[in-house]
Amino acid sequence: MLQINDVHAGYGNLKILRGIDMHVPTGGIVTLLGGNGTGKSTLLKAVSGLIPLMEGKVLFDGVNISNMKPHERVRLGLVQVTQAKEAYPAMTVEENLMLGAYIRRDRTDIVADLERVYEMFPVLRERRKQMSGTLSGGEVQMLVMGRGIMAKPKMLMLDEPSAALAPKVVLEIFANINRIAKTGVTILVVEQNVRMALILAQYGYIIRDGVIMIEGKAEQLISDPAVKESFLGGSVADTSKALTN
Amino acid sequence: MDFDYNSLLAFIIFGITIGVVYGIVALGISLIYSGLDIVHFAHGEMYMFGAFFGLVLVQELSVPYPIALIGAMILTALFGMTVERVFYRRLTRGGGGYTVAGMGMIICGFGMSMTLVNVAYFIWGAEAEPFRANLDYIPRLSFPGDIEVPESYVLTAIISVALMAALHYFLRYTKTGLAVRAVAHNKDIAYLMGINVPLMISLIFGLACGLGAAAGVLIGPMQSVQVEMGYLMLMKAFAAAVVGGFGSLPGAILGGIMVGVFENLGAAYISASHKDIYAFLLLILVLIFKPSGLLGVEAKVKA
Ligand SMILES: Nc1ncnc2c1ncn2[C@@H]1O[C@H](COP(=O)(O)OP(=O)(O)OP(=O)(O)O)[C@@H](O)[C@H]1O
Ligand SMILES: [Mg+2]
Repeated sequence: MLQINDVHAGYGNLKILRGIDMHVPTGGIVTLLGGNGTGKSTLLKAVSGLIPLMEGKVLFDGVNISNMKPHERVRLGLVQVTQAKEAYPAMTVEENLMLGAYIRRDRTDIVADLERVYEMFPVLRERRKQMSGTLSGGEVQMLVMGRGIMAKPKMLMLDEPSAALAPKVVLEIFANINRIAKTGVTILVVEQNVRMALILAQYGYIIRDGVIMIEGKAEQLISDPAVKESFLGGSVADTSKALTN
Repeated sequence: MDFDYNSLLAFIIFGITIGVVYGIVALGISLIYSGLDIVHFAHGEMYMFGAFFGLVLVQELSVPYPIALIGAMILTALFGMTVERVFYRRLTRGGGGYTVAGMGMIICGFGMSMTLVNVAYFIWGAEAEPFRANLDYIPRLSFPGDIEVPESYVLTAIISVALMAALHYFLRYTKTGLAVRAVAHNKDIAYLMGINVPLMISLIFGLACGLGAAAGVLIGPMQSVQVEMGYLMLMKAFAAAVVGGFGSLPGAILGGIMVGVFENLGAAYISASHKDIYAFLLLILVLIFKPSGLLGVEAKVKA
């Protein structure tokens, strides 16, 4: 579904991504893992078209989308939910969700999808007439995910959906990502919650300094000693030792 | 000495009428500011071009006034969109959009203002032209105490309010209006919603210029039309926008009315020869006591 070939990109003259190759198969869940500032969000921006490619190309559904404008890519069904968790604070929850369906014309289907989002995230239904600026962090994450679904994407790219959320909310978010995937939406999820992401996904990539370091099947990565050491952070005892040092 | 309440009432009514016109120009400036993050210094010239387009349509092509109003709005909107596409947008090529182009955009706006005045000078000359519109079909309004409001004032008030209502409806209740608001708040997210952001920017610019043109065609019959009429209007509309709270649409209207009433009262009771100063006096007062403007929100946070 998504094929990323030797992508170089960055900001101005500053190159962040230095030759990324990735593949996300139709119907699958793939995760992109990596520490802070390694270029994960930059890659999603390049795939969405918010920043131009310096080299390489991006294919979506077999179509070369490298030179398309961001809104044209959305119309093909490639939808990104950003890390900034930006809802429009001065719009109601429902207006935000309807904005997600901006590109669609199928009125009755939109209403059905709205219902589906409210089922998935009941708290959004309770808050539907509320300005989204008043929502909690977890609720905003649900809102922006719901807004992504409202676009009826073929593929959804989620940038750190679990960041800064309580464990219980994280679980709920991940369960819902799984539900979305079950409806046939292909998913690329960027995460720092490595363990959860590798349980959710079938395949994983690990990025460092703008290049893919390791890739492989999720169950292999989760037991890979290198991954374990650099991400999974060992036991509670190790953590407390590191904290007091 | 007897205080004449009737003339006070009259000054207030005239102040409100002229104030709503400042308000619709300020509305355009605010719209561009909230949508594109730039302060458009050539907006007075859009008002001036609008007035001339209206004048040409009415006096040379004998178009009925209401149709000339709409025609001038459309022509000026297209003209403004062209200016934005051809000149301003070039400055955003470096990336980061209008937000980053900042200072260059301000200088470009000033330059555009001078250029447009000179273009207008070449076409229409420097003399003030009277704008004779046939408004006989509009009834004069009589208020208690023998206050007569002339047709052009009545028309101005009605059309301004209608334009504001239409803009409010558009922004609040239509899908495109929703997209405009989305672009105003965050262009990247708007892009990711599938919104054609460059097109919406053109639309915002066109709407704002169209509003400016409406003000020009409305003011025309009250005063006259002249190539340098834009400067003073820009200043008054800025004062209105700042008094109301820069970037706030309701604030632009409130600010406009306040400026209009304030300067009419100042001209009546203090000194008529300093009429144009009162707007800035009000501006200074508001900046001292409520720097964010009357309906202003805290500086908006950009991602
Ligand atoms: N708009 C920008 N302009 C310049 N440099 C940027 C910009 N955005 C990000 N960077 C730089 O690019 C690098 C990669 O940033 P990116 O946001 O892709 O990291 P990330 O992997 O998503 O990190 P995190 O997990 O913290 O979100 C960082 O060094 C960052 O400082
Ligand atoms: Mg990131």
